[in-house]
Amino acid sequence: MADRTMPSRSPLPNRPMNDGIAMSDDANRLDGVAKVTGSAKYGRDVMPKNGVFVSFIRCPWGHAQARSIDEEAASAVAGVLEVEITGREGRYHGEPIGHIAAESLAALRRARSALNIEWDPEDADTEIGSPEASHDDDPDGADHVLEAVYTTPVQTHSSLETHGTSIDHMGDRAIIYASTQGTFSAREGMDRVLGMPQSRFKVVCEFVGGGFGSKLNGAGKEGLTAGRIAAKYGRPAWLFCDRAEEHLDTGNRPSSRTHVRIGYRDDGTIVGGSVRTWGGVGVAGGGGGVVMPSNRYDLGRIRKQHADVRFNGGGPRAFRAPGHPQGAFAEELMIDEVATATGRDPLELRMKLDREDERRSMYELGARLIGWKRRQPTGTQASVLRRGFGIGSTSWNRFPARADAEVVIHPDASVEVRTGSQDIGTGQRTAMAIVVARQLGVPLDVVHVSIGDSSLPAGPASGGSVTATNTSLAMLEAADNLKETFLERIAAQLGVVAGALKIREGDIMQDDRRMMTWQEACAALGSAVSGRGSRSRRSDRQYSGSGHSMGVQFVDLEVDSETGVIHLNRIVAIQSCGRVICRKTAESQIIGGVIQGLSFALFEDKLLDRNTGAMVNPNLEFYRIAGPADMPKIEPVLWEGNQTGIRPLGEPPTIPTAGAIACAVFNAVGSPVRDLPLRPDRVLDAIEGGRS
Amino acid sequence: MPQIQLTLNGSPATVDYEPHHRLLDTLRYGLALTGTKEGCGEGECGACTVLIDGRPANSCLVPTYQARGCDVRTVESIPAETLRPLLESGATQCGACTPGVVVTSAWVRSNPELIETHTLRQLMAGNLCRCTGYDGIIDGVQQGLDMDAESRGAKP
Ligand code: FES
Ligand code: FES
Repeated sequence: MADRTMPSRSPLPNRPMNDGIAMSDDANRLDGVAKVTGSAKYGRDVMPKNGVFVSFIRCPWGHAQARSIDEEAASAVAGVLEVEITGREGRYHGEPIGHIAAESLAALRRARSALNIEWDPEDADTEIGSPEASHDDDPDGADHVLEAVYTTPVQTHSSLETHGTSIDHMGDRAIIYASTQGTFSAREGMDRVLGMPQSRFKVVCEFVGGGFGSKLNGAGKEGLTAGRIAAKYGRPAWLFCDRAEEHLDTGNRPSSRTHVRIGYRDDGTIVGGSVRTWGGVGVAGGGGGVVMPSNRYDLGRIRKQHADVRFNGGGPRAFRAPGHPQGAFAEELMIDEVATATGRDPLELRMKLDREDERRSMYELGARLIGWKRRQPTGTQASVLRRGFGIGSTSWNRFPARADAEVVIHPDASVEVRTGSQDIGTGQRTAMAIVVARQLGVPLDVVHVSIGDSSLPAGPASGGSVTATNTSLAMLEAADNLKETFLERIAAQLGVVAGALKIREGDIMQDDRRMMTWQEACAALGSAVSGRGSRSRRSDRQYSGSGHSMGVQFVDLEVDSETGVIHLNRIVAIQSCGRVICRKTAESQIIGGVIQGLSFALFEDKLLDRNTGAMVNPNLEFYRIAGPADMPKIEPVLWEGNQTGIRPLGEPPTIPTAGAIACAVFNAVGSPVRDLPLRPDRVLDAIEGGRS
Repeated sequence: MPQIQLTLNGSPATVDYEPHHRLLDTLRYGLALTGTKEGCGEGECGACTVLIDGRPANSCLVPTYQARGCDVRTVESIPAETLRPLLESGATQCGACTPGVVVTSAWVRSNPELIETHTLRQLMAGNLCRCTGYDGIIDGVQQGLDMDAESRGAKP
């Protein structure tokens, strides 16, 4: 087998704009080697010997009652351990009505078909529909009123690693290998199903194959069911969803409908009005909120009402900036409609409406980078290929969350960074190593990160961009505490006062004289030293900084007016996130946010058949996510602005993309497409309908 | 259990397999080669890509028996030093798609003439990634091609 080691440094990637902004310009993802060589072990990869395989029995229709189920035949299938039916009614396609446990995946499959369930389908509602909006009177002082309805479809998270848990049950203790965004929340309820105190088991998720919000709900039904089976048989248990189940029953971004009736003046000023929104929450009780207005723009006095609409579909879960992309789509396109109706340039109008001066500077930069000057007024192109430019804006606040951390210096000169919370792909592992290396004053390559393990110091679940922002404060405090103890001990050895010593690039310095190398100092310790920290009011005051993340995105695209196909040329994404930790992972987060917004804008749509209520595209062929060939050139710009400290980065870049693309399409074809995804047929309808 | 003989990651191997197992299952469960991932199980995502006789194949669509006598290469056999460009370009976030990306990129790099008739984005189109936006992936493959060309002594 080939040598599995690789250098961890590299020359700079080719984005000169971002040179020198981050704490580390050239660090590669610390777990990159494990990921590119395939040695990284995910929950799904852990198949303990003697394991029991478990899967749910699911309703295949939007709404149906199971009239007959041949439990006996299924139980008789060789290798089947148990069949349990927990209910007879399925209220949405994919709702579990029981489970099967068996010795192999093949036995599971055979048992599923042996069940031979006869279903009585019932009527199913599949969408929000067109609820009536009762709008108030027109706003005062308006010269004109725009009334429009904007809709967005259900988007599924589509993480490449599906939901599930592998439980290594070892009699009186257990390890839970969960694909989760919450190492600590995944313990909840597990003690009950395992019949074990939390002290006897731990959750391990060193690698998680994406989540985007869908893996926030603790161990979930997958983990708890696997736990129950593991305890019952005293054996390991494995339950992972397949791709169809992933689409059907692991959450989604709820569909939305936004009905605006908004007043504006001849000069484009928006004077207020009413915004009615609906969220399509399936069978869930709520969670369909639509963030519109965003409060980024001055839209006058808005009266907002929201209602969630239930239908026969799986319920929503948090999805990267919940409620925001769907709201921003409506808001940005609405602003462009007003701009066009009043003959104003949308850029100029945003300069006027935006509440943040800092974002105004971002608009200027973005306009220059995208070449806004080449934009032609909306509706003036008659060529086959029509060029369009669009803008969107974004913002995100820092939310406090609990986080503890520990940093240890070992006598062999390695530094261990310990945080139990997970790296779901964001680069948390790498970011924490960089933060600690800088604060201690040691080179990055002596730092190792222990992460994703509930026996390590507690950290938050990764939702709302809280992981790095909060854990970093605990890390900074831990590193400072450690440095103090460490230098005291070294000073005692050297017979100098601790205050006189500093660590520089790992060397122990007094004034400008090197007293010891890092290796010598660590060896002199004799035993490990550690420092702890936590996010608290105190660490907030000392390290947190201020301001909230904001950004703008500019889109340049072409629409083929004969086919309705949209071709994206470029997207410029300007994003602030305070002090950037790791340039490469930060750029990657921005690009990744953009592609999810782009995919939402152009392709994604969880389609429920209106007759049967069944999802017609529970796969990755007809539920299309953007692939390599769909990608424009995306240029992430790390913005150094008024924010200080470490600010959120996960959510904000995915908020404005769909809106910006819709604005660019409107600019190209002259009529707005108010429904996502921006399918070719809708684009053609807009061109032909010519409403605007 | 039936057996097949094949060349696996460069060495001759006799492999036991369950008759209903796809090559993907045999690799992951039978041989504990879990680098090869399952993203969809039906030939859509490319996470399960392996090389069969030098060409990329979705191992979730290949019955194990069909691989008899073939030269099968998984991500575990791709020399790590050739992967430096992908690592440096930021081709991975969560990493669930990455082994498939790595295998496809190895195929492109051992057939560099492909880029005369196809764009890299077309060549990599069989590998879906939900996280990275493909930018780092395409950059990394390009840099890999440049590196190979340089070491062959040709113009990069
Ligand atoms: S798992 Fe084989 S293509 Fe997706
Ligand atoms: S890195 Fe997560 S799917 Fe590609």
